[in-house]
Amino acid sequence: MKNDSDKPASPGRRAAAYWFKDGFPDILLGTTLVVFGGLGLAWCIHSPKSAGRPDFFFLAAGQLLFYWKGRPAVDLLKSRITYPRTGYVQPPQDVPERPLAQPSTPISLSLEPGPPTDENVTHFNTRTVYGVFYWCLLILVGLNPWRHWYTPLAMLALAILLYAWNRRSERPYRWWPALILAFTGPAVMLVNTGPLVEPLLLPLVAGAWLAAHGACTLAGYLRANPYPQAAQEVRA
Amino acid sequence: MTTRIQEIAQLDRLIHEPARLAIMLMLGGIGEADFLYLQREGGFTQGNLSGHLAKLEEAGYVAIEKKFKGKVPLTVCSLTGKGKAAFCEYSARMLGVLQSNGQQGR
Repeated sequence: MKNDSDKPASPGRRAAAYWFKDGFPDILLGTTLVVFGGLGLAWCIHSPKSAGRPDFFFLAAGQLLFYWKGRPAVDLLKSRITYPRTGYVQPPQDVPERPLAQPSTPISLSLEPGPPTDENVTHFNTRTVYGVFYWCLLILVGLNPWRHWYTPLAMLALAILLYAWNRRSERPYRWWPALILAFTGPAVMLVNTGPLVEPLLLPLVAGAWLAAHGACTLAGYLRANPYPQAAQEVRA
Repeated sequence: MTTRIQEIAQLDRLIHEPARLAIMLMLGGIGEADFLYLQREGGFTQGNLSGHLAKLEEAGYVAIEKKFKGKVPLTVCSLTGKGKAAFCEYSARMLGVLQSNGQQGR
């Protein structure tokens, strides 16, 4: 979470940052990965000789569900927890709208009035949601050329990918949580879970990491913004 | 110089007031927001924001709507077409004045 000193300046950028300041998008994405990755893992453990790759299909189903119902679910959570505390603002457009119409002159007293064109909910999908899901799916169907090194390297790559892609966005990940994700790779290697289970740990670890990151963000948000009624009681 | 003064005199006084200009800028950049968000972002008091919004609504620049998000009632404010046009005209005029001032200063 950014501190106040580097708050984005324009109203549009602030609205983009606002969408992520309670951590719900990360929590929901992380939970989806954990649940569907866990289902895949459970299936593989209980029926290791099943035909095809059920783990792959579980994860693909998770991605579809998040794509279909993720936004309404985040909206529902925000309407119950975020909006009563800090108010509602229209989330940045999925497809960026043109800035304010300028009928007579191409110049205006511009304080970047339009919604940010490159930092919106769509970019959360492309930079994080699809990044994580496709990376996990790729690992599951991969050729496993380095065998034992495959999952640790994949986790390291995922940490770098998430950190670098979101570095200049409205929701950057700090370097040390990314480092934790990167170090889970060698930890998985030490546990030595076997070639069947090992790739399935990637969605689980990535999901748990995202959910934990979101939960920390949410805890900070709730601490900074108590429910109006509670705040009034404290003042009284 | 006289033209510039005339230009300044023609500025939309309803928008020119700093608090209302801040409201117009915020709503112009974000589409729609509820009362609480505007209050927190702009650092207004409840009565202050309410008064300014009433003036902007009366002029037809801002639409105020009671909505529900989930089960939470929200007072959502947004710029109307008239408000967008007025803000564009205001900003163009203001920028023209400031630019001509800069050119004369050189």
